[in-house]
Amino acid sequence: MLPELLQGIDAGGFLIIQDSASYSGRHLLKSFINSALDREEAVHVLGFEVSEEELKDGLKGSPIQRLHFHNAYTDPLGWTDHPAFTVHQFCLEELTRLVKQTSHPKPATLVIDSLSWILRHLSPPDVCKTLQQLRKGGAVRAIIGLLHADMHQSGTVGSVCHLATSVITVVPVLKGDKAVAKITKRSKSGKVMQDEEIFSIKDDFTVIVQGKPSQLGPKQADPKEQETDPTANLTFNLRLSDTEREAKEKLALPFVFSKEKKTALLHSGPGSGRILYEPDANDDYDQEDPDDDLDV
Amino acid sequence: MYTELNSILNTTPDSFTQGEFVLLSDRKSDASFLIHHFLSLYLRARCKVWFLGLVQSFNHYSAISQRLGVSLVQAKEKGQLVFLEGLNESLSVLIPQETDTRSQAMGFLSDPAVGLKSLYEFVRSSVTSSGGGEEEADGAEEWGPPVLLVDDLSVLLSLGVSVGAVLDFSHYCRATVCSQLQGNVVMLVRCDGEEEEDDGDDEGSERLLKGLTHQCSLTLHVQGLPTGFCRDIHGQVEVCWRRRQGDGQYTQKKLFQYKVHDKGASFFAPGTSSAVL
Repeated sequence: MLPELLQGIDAGGFLIIQDSASYSGRHLLKSFINSALDREEAVHVLGFEVSEEELKDGLKGSPIQRLHFHNAYTDPLGWTDHPAFTVHQFCLEELTRLVKQTSHPKPATLVIDSLSWILRHLSPPDVCKTLQQLRKGGAVRAIIGLLHADMHQSGTVGSVCHLATSVITVVPVLKGDKAVAKITKRSKSGKVMQDEEIFSIKDDFTVIVQGKPSQLGPKQADPKEQETDPTANLTFNLRLSDTEREAKEKLALPFVFSKEKKTALLHSGPGSGRILYEPDANDDYDQEDPDDDLDV
Repeated sequence: MYTELNSILNTTPDSFTQGEFVLLSDRKSDASFLIHHFLSLYLRARCKVWFLGLVQSFNHYSAISQRLGVSLVQAKEKGQLVFLEGLNESLSVLIPQETDTRSQAMGFLSDPAVGLKSLYEFVRSSVTSSGGGEEEADGAEEWGPPVLLVDDLSVLLSLGVSVGAVLDFSHYCRATVCSQLQGNVVMLVRCDGEEEEDDGDDEGSERLLKGLTHQCSLTLHVQGLPTGFCRDIHGQVEVCWRRRQGDGQYTQKKLFQYKVHDKGASFFAPGTSSAVL
């Protein structure tokens, strides 16, 4: 499912990439930016967390002309006199103005790096309201946001992800630079599809899907590994011939209570002693009622 | 500076990555020996160093750096080291006097809710006035890229500053020093207690650590040994490179054990301590 999402998000779509401190989702975010640029779409990046150079690092070629970086990194809180874009300007009017500054025939894709920064300074209901207005507004075609799930309460994360049409949670795998992406996609008909895929990202930001996590377990036992047979090359014989095996299986083990022994005990043979028993009142001793006078 | 740590991090006083945000953290341990490493490393590399020493006095760092072969007093006199002695400065805020002309860097002590903007202003004005400028006064030496060291950020939480304010402060420091001036930032944050799955611990040092981890490019996390106290091995350090390296490795983690000596610290792969081999 990951390659399909990379190929395009439906109009009005909202994709959230959730990551944590152990694995950064920014590389996957850059893959999405890269594939959007390759599709000749205009991409507007609202950058709070990383600088322009760092975000554009690795994205090469002429498509980069279509990438418009709005600098909210150097002064997001207005601590200097001339802030470029502050976090308090995150509202429908300002964002629409920002996107419409560059004239492009098609509506653009808005990438927010990151939503966590905004959620730290604005209340979640306001952020959700702005995101929903953006989706319905028409100024942007699709929104992609990066969210650090371990920085917020689960309720906040849940509320924002509820607005999304697709959520990708990235979790690292122990070995190498692969990661597991847990994808939830909600289509317009209301159908929800979920998937888990292992992927890795190459230098040019192409994503290679390498199968499902459940496949990873057995694959790790290397099939090429030759198992040496310990019973080969011995000076004594450890094997059984067929007759020997039959005799072995027929053997009754001494202390096993088999069916034959049970019948032998129950039906005693001729001439052996017999036990005649008549129920005696003294034998009928009830531990919980020793005097036998309870009316239970 | 510790030579083994230099080889682990692939840094020397002559060549180190610029624009890096290094996060030193510890959990129930003491990572301040790493601060002394970076302080002596960058002073030897002839960088101009701004040190926000919020937890110890200048003499403390000076005495330890003396053992590492670097004189802080000399560096301060030459202008290479700008030291904000947090403990001293806080007195002028808590007991204001009429003849006080000191900067309001520690002004957040009187009103923690205001945030760390004044502390950032102190850093910014100091760094941009001398570190980034090309005109140097006659006779003044030219120093290398600016470096900001903070020891430590968790004490700000204890002083009533919110986690969000500290994260904003570190963000602005990074934006100014790392991105704008291509310098380095090294910050120490300390946690006590186990790593919990917090759900709403808004004021915890765990949240601060996670937030800073997202911002940084290199983390060194110091912990005690999981098996308990050992006389010859003082703990373990997990080094994690978060930014893309030249060969495309995105996140690389390495674990080392260390022992702190009188004049340094030695680092070795787990199980290869000289006491064991």
